[in-house]
Amino acid sequence: MSTGRSILLKEDGNRRFQAGDYVSAEALYSKALIADPTNPALYTNRAMARLKMSLWESVIADCNECLKLDPDSMKAHYYLSQAHLPLHNYDEALEHALKAYGMCVKTADKSLSSVTAQVKRCKKERWDDLDKRRRRETSDLEREIYVMMERERDEALSSDPDLRDGERQEIQTEWARKMDTMRDVFEKSRAAHEQRRKVPDWAVDDISFEFMRDPVVTKTGKSYERASITEHLRRNNTDPLTREPLYLSELRPNIDLKQACDDFLQDNGWANDW
Amino acid sequence: MPPTAQFAAKRVAKELQKITNDLPPGIKLVEAENFEEWLLDIQVLDDNPLYKDQTYRLKFKFGSSYPIEPPEVTFVKLPDRPIPIHPHIYSNGIICLDLLGQQGWSPVQNVESVCMSLQSMLTGNTKNERPPGDEEFVRANRLRPKDIDFYYHDNNV
Repeated sequence: MSTGRSILLKEDGNRRFQAGDYVSAEALYSKALIADPTNPALYTNRAMARLKMSLWESVIADCNECLKLDPDSMKAHYYLSQAHLPLHNYDEALEHALKAYGMCVKTADKSLSSVTAQVKRCKKERWDDLDKRRRRETSDLEREIYVMMERERDEALSSDPDLRDGERQEIQTEWARKMDTMRDVFEKSRAAHEQRRKVPDWAVDDISFEFMRDPVVTKTGKSYERASITEHLRRNNTDPLTREPLYLSELRPNIDLKQACDDFLQDNGWANDW
Repeated sequence: MPPTAQFAAKRVAKELQKITNDLPPGIKLVEAENFEEWLLDIQVLDDNPLYKDQTYRLKFKFGSSYPIEPPEVTFVKLPDRPIPIHPHIYSNGIICLDLLGQQGWSPVQNVESVCMSLQSMLTGNTKNERPPGDEEFVRANRLRPKDIDFYYHDNNV
Protein backbone atom coordinates (compact mmCIF):
# COMPACT_ATOMS: atom_id res chain seq x y z
CA MET A 1 0.00 0.00 0.00
CA SER A 2 1.35 3.38 -0.94
CA THR A 3 -0.56 6.40 0.39
CA GLY A 4 1.69 9.00 -1.23
CA ARG A 5 1.40 7.45 -4.67
CA SER A 6 -2.34 7.10 -4.21
CA ILE A 7 -2.71 10.79 -3.43
CA LEU A 8 -0.74 11.78 -6.50
CA LEU A 9 -2.94 9.56 -8.67
CA LYS A 10 -6.05 11.05 -7.09
CA GLU A 11 -4.84 14.58 -7.79
CA ASP A 12 -4.20 13.59 -11.40
CA GLY A 13 -7.70 12.16 -11.52
CA ASN A 14 -9.18 15.36 -10.12
CA ARG A 15 -7.45 17.35 -12.83
CA ARG A 16 -8.76 15.05 -15.56
CA PHE A 17 -12.22 15.31 -14.01
CA GLN A 18 -12.09 19.10 -13.97
CA ALA A 19 -11.10 19.00 -17.63
CA GLY A 20 -14.17 16.90 -18.39
CA ASP A 21 -12.17 13.77 -19.21
CA TYR A 22 -14.18 11.42 -17.03
CA VAL A 23 -12.87 8.20 -18.55
CA SER A 24 -9.24 9.05 -17.69
CA ALA A 25 -10.29 10.36 -14.29
CA GLU A 26 -12.08 7.11 -13.54
CA ALA A 27 -9.01 5.08 -14.53
CA LEU A 28 -6.74 7.22 -12.35
CA TYR A 29 -9.05 6.87 -9.33
CA SER A 30 -9.04 3.10 -9.90
CA LYS A 31 -5.23 3.10 -9.84
CA ALA A 32 -5.27 5.26 -6.72
CA LEU A 33 -7.57 2.72 -5.10
CA ILE A 34 -5.18 -0.11 -5.88
CA ALA A 35 -2.43 1.89 -4.19
CA ASP A 36 -4.61 2.69 -1.17
CA PRO A 37 -7.93 0.85 -0.84
CA THR A 38 -8.69 2.39 2.58
CA ASN A 39 -9.37 5.97 1.50
CA PRO A 40 -13.18 6.45 1.34
CA ALA A 41 -12.89 9.68 -0.69
CA LEU A 42 -11.38 7.71 -3.58
CA TYR A 43 -14.59 5.71 -3.87
CA THR A 44 -16.81 8.79 -3.97
CA ASN A 45 -14.48 10.47 -6.46
CA ARG A 46 -14.65 7.47 -8.73
CA ALA A 47 -18.43 7.32 -8.20
CA MET A 48 -18.64 10.94 -9.31
CA ALA A 49 -16.73 10.14 -12.50
CA ARG A 50 -18.89 7.08 -13.07
CA LEU A 51 -22.04 9.17 -12.60
CA LYS A 52 -20.84 11.30 -15.51
CA MET A 53 -20.38 8.11 -17.51
CA SER A 54 -23.87 6.86 -16.57
CA LEU A 55 -22.44 3.68 -15.02
CA TRP A 56 -25.16 3.55 -12.40
CA GLU A 57 -24.48 0.07 -11.02
CA SER A 58 -20.78 0.84 -10.56
CA VAL A 59 -21.65 4.10 -8.83
CA ILE A 60 -23.78 2.15 -6.36
CA ALA A 61 -20.96 -0.34 -5.72
CA ASP A 62 -18.43 2.45 -5.10
CA CYS A 63 -20.72 4.32 -2.74
CA ASN A 64 -21.44 1.20 -0.75
CA GLU A 65 -17.70 0.58 -0.40
CA CYS A 66 -17.22 4.15 0.74
CA LEU A 67 -20.00 3.83 3.33
CA LYS A 68 -18.33 0.74 4.76
CA LEU A 69 -15.25 2.86 5.45
CA ASP A 70 -17.06 6.08 6.31
CA PRO A 71 -20.75 5.69 7.24
CA ASP A 72 -21.15 9.49 7.46
CA SER A 73 -20.21 10.26 3.87
CA MET A 74 -22.77 12.77 2.61
CA LYS A 75 -21.42 12.43 -0.93
CA ALA A 76 -21.89 8.65 -0.94
CA HIS A 77 -25.58 9.09 -0.13
CA TYR A 78 -25.97 11.92 -2.60
CA TYR A 79 -24.40 9.91 -5.43
CA LEU A 80 -26.34 6.79 -4.45
CA SER A 81 -29.52 8.79 -4.84
CA GLN A 82 -28.41 10.05 -8.25
CA ALA A 83 -27.60 6.53 -9.42
CA HIS A 84 -30.79 4.92 -8.11
CA LEU A 85 -33.05 7.47 -9.77
CA PRO A 86 -32.28 6.57 -13.41
CA LEU A 87 -32.59 2.90 -12.42
CA HIS A 88 -36.16 3.69 -11.31
CA ASN A 89 -35.39 2.66 -7.72
CA TYR A 90 -37.45 5.57 -6.45
CA ASP A 91 -37.63 4.59 -2.81
CA GLU A 92 -33.88 4.05 -2.50
CA ALA A 93 -33.18 7.25 -4.41
CA LEU A 94 -35.37 9.25 -2.05
CA GLU A 95 -34.05 7.51 1.06
CA HIS A 96 -30.43 8.36 0.20
CA ALA A 97 -31.31 11.89 -0.88
CA LEU A 98 -32.97 12.44 2.49
CA LYS A 99 -29.95 11.04 4.33
CA ALA A 100 -27.64 13.34 2.38
CA TYR A 101 -30.01 16.21 3.08
CA GLY A 102 -29.99 15.55 6.82
CA MET A 103 -26.19 15.51 6.79
CA CYS A 104 -26.01 18.74 4.82
CA VAL A 105 -28.29 20.41 7.33
CA LYS A 106 -26.19 19.16 10.21
CA THR A 107 -22.93 20.40 8.76
CA ALA A 108 -24.27 23.45 6.90
CA ASP A 109 -22.76 21.85 3.81
CA LYS A 110 -22.54 24.04 0.75
CA SER A 111 -24.28 21.35 -1.32
CA LEU A 112 -27.51 21.91 0.60
CA SER A 113 -29.36 23.50 -2.25
CA SER A 114 -28.36 20.92 -4.83
CA VAL A 115 -29.21 18.12 -2.40
CA THR A 116 -32.57 19.76 -1.72
CA ALA A 117 -33.17 19.83 -5.45
CA GLN A 118 -32.30 16.14 -5.59
CA VAL A 119 -34.84 15.38 -2.84
CA LYS A 120 -37.51 17.18 -4.81
CA ARG A 121 -36.49 15.47 -8.04
CA CYS A 122 -36.83 12.07 -6.33
CA LYS A 123 -40.26 12.90 -4.99
CA LYS A 124 -41.36 14.26 -8.33
CA GLU A 125 -40.16 11.28 -10.34
CA ARG A 126 -41.62 8.84 -7.87
CA TRP A 127 -44.94 10.60 -8.13
CA ASP A 128 -44.78 10.69 -11.94
CA ASP A 129 -44.07 6.97 -11.97
CA LEU A 130 -47.05 6.24 -9.72
CA ASP A 131 -49.16 8.44 -11.89
CA LYS A 132 -48.06 6.61 -15.04
CA ARG A 133 -48.92 3.31 -13.44
CA ARG A 134 -52.31 4.59 -12.38
CA ARG A 135 -53.01 5.64 -15.96
CA ARG A 136 -51.93 2.31 -17.31
CA GLU A 137 -54.20 0.53 -14.85
CA THR A 138 -57.08 2.74 -15.87
CA SER A 139 -56.62 2.05 -19.55
CA ASP A 140 -56.33 -1.71 -18.88
CA LEU A 141 -59.55 -1.53 -16.91
CA GLU A 142 -61.19 0.36 -19.73
CA ARG A 143 -60.24 -2.30 -22.25
CA GLU A 144 -61.53 -5.05 -19.97
CA ILE A 145 -64.84 -3.32 -19.52
CA TYR A 146 -65.42 -3.05 -23.26
CA VAL A 147 -64.68 -6.74 -23.68
CA MET A 148 -67.17 -7.56 -20.92
CA MET A 149 -69.77 -5.30 -22.46
CA GLU A 150 -69.34 -6.93 -25.84
CA ARG A 151 -69.70 -10.35 -24.25
CA GLU A 152 -72.86 -9.24 -22.48
CA ARG A 153 -74.27 -7.95 -25.76
CA ASP A 154 -73.42 -11.12 -27.66
CA GLU A 155 -75.06 -13.16 -24.93
CA ALA A 156 -78.21 -11.09 -25.16
CA LEU A 157 -78.21 -11.62 -28.91
CA SER A 158 -77.68 -15.36 -28.78
CA SER A 159 -79.84 -16.13 -25.72
CA ASP A 160 -83.05 -16.13 -27.74
CA PRO A 161 -82.80 -17.68 -31.22
CA ASP A 162 -86.28 -16.36 -32.07
CA LEU A 163 -85.35 -12.68 -31.92
CA ARG A 164 -86.69 -10.65 -34.78
CA ASP A 165 -84.34 -8.42 -36.77
CA GLY A 166 -85.86 -5.29 -35.27
CA GLU A 167 -85.25 -6.59 -31.76
CA ARG A 168 -81.69 -7.57 -32.61
CA GLN A 169 -81.15 -4.10 -33.99
CA GLU A 170 -82.48 -2.63 -30.75
CA ILE A 171 -80.07 -4.68 -28.62
CA GLN A 172 -77.18 -3.66 -30.85
CA THR A 173 -78.10 0.01 -30.59
CA GLU A 174 -78.58 -0.10 -26.85
CA TRP A 175 -75.16 -1.65 -26.22
CA ALA A 176 -73.49 0.69 -28.66
CA ARG A 177 -75.00 3.57 -26.69
CA LYS A 178 -73.82 2.11 -23.36
CA MET A 179 -70.31 1.71 -24.69
CA ASP A 180 -70.28 5.27 -25.96
CA THR A 181 -71.34 6.45 -22.53
CA MET A 182 -68.59 4.42 -20.92
CA ARG A 183 -66.06 5.91 -23.33
CA ASP A 184 -67.33 9.37 -22.40
CA VAL A 185 -66.92 8.63 -18.71
CA PHE A 186 -63.33 7.53 -19.19
CA GLU A 187 -62.61 10.51 -21.40
CA LYS A 188 -63.94 12.86 -18.76
CA SER A 189 -61.92 11.24 -16.01
CA ARG A 190 -58.85 11.56 -18.18
CA ALA A 191 -59.57 15.24 -18.70
CA ALA A 192 -60.00 15.73 -14.96
CA HIS A 193 -56.71 13.96 -14.53
CA GLU A 194 -55.05 16.34 -16.94
CA GLN A 195 -56.17 19.21 -14.76
CA ARG A 196 -53.83 17.99 -12.10
CA ARG A 197 -50.93 18.29 -14.52
CA LYS A 198 -48.35 20.89 -13.82
CA VAL A 199 -48.57 24.57 -14.39
CA PRO A 200 -45.11 26.09 -14.92
CA ASP A 201 -43.86 28.06 -11.92
CA TRP A 202 -43.21 31.16 -14.01
CA ALA A 203 -46.91 31.41 -14.69
CA VAL A 204 -47.96 31.22 -11.04
CA ASP A 205 -48.51 34.29 -8.92
CA ASP A 206 -46.68 33.95 -5.61
CA ILE A 207 -49.43 35.71 -3.67
CA SER A 208 -52.61 34.03 -4.88
CA PHE A 209 -50.84 30.90 -6.18
CA GLU A 210 -52.92 31.20 -9.29
CA PHE A 211 -52.18 31.22 -12.96
CA MET A 212 -51.33 34.78 -13.95
CA ARG A 213 -53.56 36.59 -16.37
CA ASP A 214 -52.38 40.14 -15.93
CA PRO A 215 -48.85 40.05 -14.60
CA VAL A 216 -47.23 43.27 -13.42
CA VAL A 217 -43.57 43.65 -12.60
CA THR A 218 -41.98 45.44 -9.63
CA LYS A 219 -38.64 47.28 -9.42
CA THR A 220 -36.97 44.04 -8.36
CA GLY A 221 -38.01 42.36 -11.61
CA LYS A 222 -40.47 40.03 -9.90
CA SER A 223 -43.93 39.71 -11.41
CA TYR A 224 -47.25 39.27 -9.63
CA GLU A 225 -50.85 39.07 -10.63
CA ARG A 226 -52.03 42.63 -10.62
CA ALA A 227 -54.98 41.96 -8.34
CA SER A 228 -52.86 40.27 -5.69
CA ILE A 229 -50.10 42.82 -5.49
CA THR A 230 -52.65 45.62 -5.49
CA GLU A 231 -54.46 44.02 -2.58
CA HIS A 232 -51.15 43.77 -0.74
CA LEU A 233 -50.12 47.37 -1.50
CA ARG A 234 -53.46 48.62 -0.28
CA ARG A 235 -52.41 47.66 3.22
CA ASN A 236 -48.68 47.80 3.04
CA ASN A 237 -46.55 49.84 0.64
CA THR A 238 -43.60 47.48 0.59
CA ASP A 239 -42.15 45.10 -1.93
CA PRO A 240 -43.17 41.59 -0.78
CA LEU A 241 -39.69 40.24 -1.36
CA THR A 242 -37.36 43.02 -0.30
CA ARG A 243 -39.68 45.08 1.98
CA GLU A 244 -38.43 48.20 0.25
CA PRO A 245 -41.03 50.94 -0.31
CA LEU A 246 -43.22 50.12 -3.28
CA TYR A 247 -46.17 52.07 -4.66
CA LEU A 248 -48.90 51.00 -6.99
CA SER A 249 -47.84 53.67 -9.46
CA GLU A 250 -44.47 51.97 -9.82
CA LEU A 251 -45.89 48.73 -11.17
CA ARG A 252 -45.59 48.08 -14.91
CA PRO A 253 -47.39 45.47 -16.99
CA ASN A 254 -45.18 42.56 -17.94
CA ILE A 255 -46.27 42.24 -21.55
CA ASP A 256 -43.99 39.39 -22.57
CA LEU A 257 -44.91 37.29 -19.56
CA LYS A 258 -48.56 37.91 -20.29
CA GLN A 259 -48.00 36.75 -23.86
CA ALA A 260 -46.28 33.61 -22.58
CA CYS A 261 -49.14 32.92 -20.16
CA ASP A 262 -51.68 33.34 -22.93
CA ASP A 263 -49.74 31.03 -25.23
CA PHE A 264 -49.51 28.39 -22.53
CA LEU A 265 -53.24 28.55 -21.96
CA GLN A 266 -53.91 28.17 -25.64
CA ASP A 267 -52.16 24.79 -25.69
CA ASN A 268 -53.35 23.78 -22.21
CA GLY A 269 -57.01 24.53 -21.94
CA TRP A 270 -57.19 22.61 -18.68
CA ALA A 271 -55.12 25.28 -16.97
CA ASN A 272 -57.83 27.84 -17.55
CA ASP A 273 -59.61 27.24 -14.29
CA TRP A 274 -56.45 26.27 -12.43
CA MET B 1 -68.51 34.42 1.64
CA PRO B 2 -67.06 37.90 1.10
CA PRO B 3 -64.74 38.13 -1.93
CA THR B 4 -61.60 38.31 0.19
CA ALA B 5 -62.52 35.13 2.07
CA GLN B 6 -62.89 33.38 -1.26
CA PHE B 7 -59.45 34.62 -2.24
CA ALA B 8 -58.07 33.17 0.99
CA ALA B 9 -59.80 29.82 0.52
CA LYS B 10 -58.49 29.53 -3.02
CA ARG B 11 -54.96 30.30 -2.00
CA VAL B 12 -55.10 27.84 0.91
CA ALA B 13 -56.48 25.17 -1.42
CA LYS B 14 -53.60 25.79 -3.84
CA GLU B 15 -51.09 25.55 -1.06
CA LEU B 16 -52.57 22.27 0.04
CA GLN B 17 -52.35 20.92 -3.49
CA LYS B 18 -48.75 22.05 -3.71
CA ILE B 19 -47.51 20.66 -0.42
CA THR B 20 -49.44 17.39 -0.32
CA ASN B 21 -46.81 15.68 -2.41
CA ASP B 22 -43.86 17.82 -1.68
CA LEU B 23 -42.78 19.05 1.74
CA PRO B 24 -39.18 19.56 2.84
CA PRO B 25 -37.69 17.06 5.30
CA GLY B 26 -38.82 17.43 8.89
CA ILE B 27 -42.20 18.94 7.99
CA LYS B 28 -45.36 16.83 7.87
CA LEU B 29 -48.94 17.75 7.17
CA VAL B 30 -51.08 16.17 9.89
CA GLU B 31 -54.53 17.50 9.15
CA ALA B 32 -56.01 19.88 6.61
CA GLU B 33 -59.74 19.17 6.67
CA ASN B 34 -60.73 22.70 5.77
CA PHE B 35 -59.30 26.01 4.66
CA GLU B 36 -59.39 27.64 8.07
CA GLU B 37 -57.20 25.51 10.25
CA TRP B 38 -54.34 23.11 9.59
CA LEU B 39 -52.11 21.00 11.79
CA LEU B 40 -48.52 20.24 10.94
CA ASP B 41 -45.68 18.44 12.67
CA ILE B 42 -42.17 19.79 12.52
CA GLN B 43 -38.83 18.40 13.59
CA VAL B 44 -35.42 19.95 13.89
CA LEU B 45 -33.06 18.05 11.65
CA ASP B 46 -29.71 18.78 13.23
CA ASP B 47 -28.36 17.51 16.52
CA ASN B 48 -29.31 20.49 18.67
CA PRO B 49 -29.73 18.73 22.06
CA LEU B 50 -32.65 21.02 22.98
CA TYR B 51 -34.84 19.58 20.23
CA LYS B 52 -33.25 16.30 19.23
CA ASP B 53 -35.68 13.43 18.56
CA GLN B 54 -38.69 15.62 19.35
CA THR B 55 -41.70 16.37 17.19
CA TYR B 56 -43.70 19.56 17.61
CA ARG B 57 -47.30 20.21 16.60
CA LEU B 58 -48.14 23.47 14.88
CA LYS B 59 -51.58 24.95 14.37
CA PHE B 60 -52.14 27.34 11.47
CA LYS B 61 -55.26 29.46 11.39
CA PHE B 62 -55.99 31.30 8.18
CA GLY B 63 -58.08 34.44 8.39
CA SER B 64 -60.24 35.70 5.57
CA SER B 65 -57.47 38.07 4.50
CA TYR B 66 -54.78 35.44 4.16
CA PRO B 67 -52.19 35.74 2.62
CA ILE B 68 -52.36 39.51 2.70
CA GLU B 69 -52.52 39.13 6.48
CA PRO B 70 -50.39 36.55 8.27
CA PRO B 71 -51.85 33.27 9.49
CA GLU B 72 -52.09 32.71 13.22
CA VAL B 73 -49.46 30.15 14.10
CA THR B 74 -49.04 28.50 17.51
CA PHE B 75 -47.49 25.39 18.96
CA VAL B 76 -49.99 22.91 20.39
CA LYS B 77 -49.29 20.85 23.48
CA LEU B 78 -50.17 17.15 23.39
CA PRO B 79 -48.94 14.18 25.44
CA ASP B 80 -46.32 13.37 22.77
CA ARG B 81 -45.95 16.92 21.42
CA PRO B 82 -44.28 19.31 23.87
CA ILE B 83 -43.90 23.07 23.40
CA PRO B 84 -40.29 23.65 22.29
CA ILE B 85 -38.16 25.57 24.75
CA HIS B 86 -37.05 28.89 23.22
CA PRO B 87 -36.65 32.50 24.40
CA HIS B 88 -39.35 33.54 21.89
CA ILE B 89 -41.87 30.80 22.52
CA TYR B 90 -44.19 31.04 25.51
CA SER B 91 -45.03 27.85 27.32
CA ASN B 92 -48.64 28.08 26.09
CA GLY B 93 -47.41 27.79 22.50
CA ILE B 94 -47.56 31.43 21.46
CA ILE B 95 -44.67 32.37 19.19
CA CYS B 96 -42.94 35.75 18.92
CA LEU B 97 -41.58 35.84 15.40
CA ASP B 98 -41.56 39.03 13.37
CA LEU B 99 -42.37 37.05 10.23
CA LEU B 100 -45.76 36.25 11.78
CA GLY B 101 -46.53 39.83 12.81
CA GLN B 102 -48.30 42.50 10.79
CA GLN B 103 -45.02 44.23 10.02
CA GLY B 104 -42.78 41.29 9.24
CA TRP B 105 -45.27 39.29 7.19
CA SER B 106 -45.21 39.24 3.41
CA PRO B 107 -47.84 37.58 1.20
CA VAL B 108 -45.16 35.61 -0.62
CA GLN B 109 -44.62 33.69 2.61
CA ASN B 110 -46.59 30.48 2.94
CA VAL B 111 -47.13 27.50 5.24
CA GLU B 112 -44.01 25.76 4.01
CA SER B 113 -41.80 28.84 4.39
CA VAL B 114 -43.18 29.57 7.88
CA CYS B 115 -42.46 26.00 8.97
CA MET B 116 -38.94 26.27 7.58
CA SER B 117 -38.41 29.57 9.40
CA LEU B 118 -39.56 27.98 12.65
CA GLN B 119 -37.25 25.02 12.03
CA SER B 120 -34.31 27.35 11.61
CA MET B 121 -35.39 29.48 14.57
CA LEU B 122 -35.12 26.34 16.71
CA THR B 123 -31.97 25.06 15.01
CA GLY B 124 -30.14 28.30 15.75
CA ASN B 125 -31.13 28.49 19.41
CA THR B 126 -28.83 27.47 22.25
CA LYS B 127 -30.72 28.99 25.18
CA ASN B 128 -32.67 26.57 27.31
CA GLU B 129 -35.15 29.21 28.44
CA ARG B 130 -38.61 30.77 28.01
CA PRO B 131 -39.28 34.44 27.25
CA PRO B 132 -38.97 36.75 30.26
CA GLY B 133 -42.21 36.88 32.24
CA ASP B 134 -43.45 33.62 30.71
CA GLU B 135 -45.30 32.40 33.80
CA GLU B 136 -47.15 35.63 34.30
CA PHE B 137 -47.91 35.96 30.59
CA VAL B 138 -49.32 32.47 30.38
CA ARG B 139 -51.39 32.93 33.56
CA ALA B 140 -52.85 36.26 32.47
CA ASN B 141 -53.14 35.62 28.75
CA ARG B 142 -56.48 34.59 27.37
CA LEU B 143 -55.98 36.33 24.07
CA ARG B 144 -55.29 34.88 20.69
CA PRO B 145 -51.93 35.76 19.13
CA LYS B 146 -53.66 38.07 16.66
CA ASP B 147 -55.20 40.08 19.48
CA ILE B 148 -51.84 40.42 21.13
CA ASP B 149 -50.52 41.79 17.88
CA PHE B 150 -53.32 44.28 17.97
CA TYR B 151 -52.07 45.28 21.37
CA TYR B 152 -48.70 46.25 19.99
CA HIS B 153 -49.42 47.66 16.59
CA ASP B 154 -52.56 49.65 16.09
CA ASN B 155 -53.84 48.17 12.86
CA ASN B 156 -57.08 50.12 12.43
CA VAL B 157 -59.39 47.09 12.65
